[in-house]
Order: sequence, then structure tokens, then C-alpha cells
Amino acid sequence: MPHFKSSEELKKILGGFFNILVSDEKIGTKLKESKLIIKFNYRHPDLSITVNCALPNAPITYNDSETKPEVEMFMDADTAHKFWLGEVNLVMAIARRQMAVKGPIPRILKLLPVIKPAYKMYKSYLA
Amino acid sequence: MPDFWQFSSPTKVMFGKGLSIDFAVELEALGITSALLISDANLGKSGLLKPVADSIRENGIKVIGPFTDVPANSSLSAVKACADFAVKNNADGIIALGGGSVLDTAKAANILISHGGDLAKDYSGAQTIPGPLKPLIAIPTTAGTGSEVTQAAVILDTERGTKLSFYDQYLHPSIAILDPLLLKDIPPSLMAATGWDAFTHAIEAYTSLQSNPFSDELALPAVRLIKEAFIPAVTEPKNLDAKGQMLLAATLAGIAFDQAMVGVVHAMAHACGGLSRAHHGTLNFILLPHGMEYNMPVALEKYATLAKVLHVNPKLKKKKKLAHLSVKVIRKWQKKLHKVCNLPLKLRDVGIARDNLGLIAKKACEDGTSFYNPREVEETEILKTLERAW
Repeated sequence: MPHFKSSEELKKILGGFFNILVSDEKIGTKLKESKLIIKFNYRHPDLSITVNCALPNAPITYNDSETKPEVEMFMDADTAHKFWLGEVNLVMAIARRQMAVKGPIPRILKLLPVIKPAYKMYKSYLA
Repeated sequence: MPDFWQFSSPTKVMFGKGLSIDFAVELEALGITSALLISDANLGKSGLLKPVADSIRENGIKVIGPFTDVPANSSLSAVKACADFAVKNNADGIIALGGGSVLDTAKAANILISHGGDLAKDYSGAQTIPGPLKPLIAIPTTAGTGSEVTQAAVILDTERGTKLSFYDQYLHPSIAILDPLLLKDIPPSLMAATGWDAFTHAIEAYTSLQSNPFSDELALPAVRLIKEAFIPAVTEPKNLDAKGQMLLAATLAGIAFDQAMVGVVHAMAHACGGLSRAHHGTLNFILLPHGMEYNMPVALEKYATLAKVLHVNPKLKKKKKLAHLSVKVIRKWQKKLHKVCNLPLKLRDVGIARDNLGLIAKKACEDGTSFYNPREVEETEILKTLERAW
């Protein structure tokens, strides 16, 4: 059974968490420095979340077909949930086709050390 | 060793002198009736392609092409032209005969032939291909890239001036044909540069954070073969046994790094490649001992094992000394190859300006291969390493 019961729930939880991340003094600053526009395409339930780090406040949009992402990621929402819990290794998930990436992979690999503290934050956020 | 790893190498590897004109039965088994032959202009002129095409036709299989419009660093436009040519002529399989650029062009064109779409927009990245591709037979004419057995391809986006990478399990060729006769007339400097690329693949796969017991068991035998065959393959042009060993070593190293990835030497070489026209293998030639010294604090044990494979002072037991000796031996090979075929020893000799080292260090840190390096790739330290290599 999927962890997120609906797209609305997914939007509320993961979207809410991304808002916390981009506002975080350490993580948010680094994300904005990257200027990366990244779109997460989730399945089961379906939703896309775009984080636009190229704009000053890194706005987060949903099912956004206007903003052109530099990198797009595709995964089940459950995989995303496990990733933010720190239970999924990105490189392994790609190797196992649990995640697909369109665009320059090094751009997201580079962000992995930046978001490391986010795994703890996600657990606290869900609690 | 990582917490999780997997190993899969679906490419059938075939080795034998003269095999490149004796594999048509394999095409039949794959259900190929019209095969597109891809190569490059130099190989087209060399006369190597005709006997290959003739041997396929003799078995009742139609040969389309050869398509030889493949530049040294293949581009999106070359891939598209190749795919359009194949689709127009109803190719149901591909034979790629050439170096890394030809093999990568064939892999990328196969995506478009099999699934259509826009190569850069739809497929650049990882695991983006929706399903299996048409059968591809890869026949390397250099002993270096290992592309004949890997799930990756690199294509230049000339408009944006960036290299696009494609990484997908479906990119593994169906068959790799290793024919030492194809290396008969390879110039010594190219044999040396490509061979050094294979050597670097083996060493970096072995020390990578993603290395696993399977990749290690391929990387170390590759080093062993290279140790025995490298110098004779370069200095004795008629020594086809040595060239065959190098071909095999490049393929073993290719499978190893296909699973384990590479590290800081490739990161620096990729970054230098944006500013120098030098062969990728030549850049690895300059940078390998420097990259090994950079990793020495964290890779001591593995370099000590490497030293044993390289047979440096077999009586020596101290790991630290052994590890340092492995680099020393590699430097000796460098000097020998420099003497024999004038491969450059310094970055300054391949058109890299000292002022650009800072930029190269930055780009090396951003390169995807840095992520797999056993020691964190840190800009200030990389700059010092590049200064030494300059």
C-alpha cells in the first residue's frame, strides 16, 4: 500500500518539506547557490514538484508545465519518501531503475552532501 | 565495499584473430536481416570495412552503409544523421566498428532507431530509455575505452559546448567482437594512449567507492594483462599476441568500471578535455600517478595489492612502501612510453595554460566521476595536484 494516499497528501507532505528545505539557512543557501531547476515527477500517486533554485526565493510549483527544468527525476512517491528518510542510496536507486534522471546527473550528485542533514529533518518533520 | 551492489554484464564477449570477418552466424541468431555498418572516415579509407561487409553479405544478410560520417568526438547531429540513415533503410541491427566515438555513436543512434524522439531532450541522463534496443554488435579497433561492454555513451552537444552522458542498462551492446588483427596497423602512440586509458579504468574501478568483489576480480586481471602486454604492444607493432592481450584487458577493465565507475583521474582528464585537444588517454597518461598520489591516504591497502599484481619487489611486505612503489613503477612506464612514442608527461605539453588550472580544478570537482572517488575531491587539493601535473 502506497505511503501517500493521494496527490493532495503528497503535495502537502513533500511540498511542505521542500518549503522547509529551501528556507533552511544552511541547506537553502546551498540549494539556491546551485541555481538548479529540478522537477520531481512522482508516480503512485501522481504529482510533479518543481523547485526553482535559479530564482531568489526558490519557489516551489506543482504540476508546472511552464518552467523548464535542467534536471528531471522520475520515481514512485514511496521511493521519494524512503529517500528523504535516508533509506535509499541515490546511485543504487538509479542502478536498479527505481529512479530515472533526465539531464546532467553530476548536478544532483553534487547536491547529495548538501542535503545530508535533511534526512534527520524529514524524520522530525513527519513526527 | 558499498552496502548494496549488483553485477550484470549482458554483452556476449567473443575473442579471436579474424573474428571480425567471421561472425555473420551471430547476426542470424539475433534475427538481423539488414545490418547498418557504422565506422569512421579513416577506417573507411583503410580498407578494413570491405571484408567485414563482404563476410556478412556472403551469409545472405543485407549490409546498409557503411555510415562513416562520425567525428572524433561524436555529436548530436552525427548521431541523428546516422539514425535517420538507418531508419530510412530499415536497419534491424547495427554493427559498429571503430574506436570509442564510433561505438558511442552507434549506441546513441540505436536509441533513436529503436524508440525515436530527441536524443538530448528525451534521453540524456540515466535510465531514461523505455525498453530494449535493436541488437548492436560492437567491434573495437582500439584497446582502450571498453565501450564495447559498457552501458554508457558520451555525445557532444556542439551548440551548447557540453558533453551529454547517457547511462542505461539497455545501452549494453549485444555482442563484443574482439579481433586482435584489427589492431595490426594501429600507430604506437595511439596504442599507448588508448592502452593507458584501459589501465586507468582498471585502477580507478579497483579503488572506486562502488567497487565490489566482481568488479575487483575483473580489474586486477586487467592490470595483470596490461603489465605483461602493454610495452610489447606499443614497441613491437607486429606482436599481435600482445595487442590481443591489451584488447582483452581493455574489455575486462570496461566491465569493471561499468559496474564500479571511475574516479579523480577521469574527473581531471574530463575537465582538461574541455581545454585541450589531447586524446583522453593521453590526459589519463599524464594524470594517473598524480591522481593515485592524491588517493594514497585512503587507498593504501588497495595500492599495496596493486603493487603485488605489478610485481614490484615481491619480497616486500610493508603495505605503505608497496603502495608507494606501485606509483613509482607506473612513473617508470610513463617515462618509457614517453621515450618510445613521445607521449607528453606534463599538462603544459598538451596546450593547458597554467592560468586555467583553477577552472579545471573546479570542473573536476563538478564531474560525475568525482562522486565515486575514494577520497573526497576537494578543489584546493585538486588544484595542488594539477599544479604538480602541469
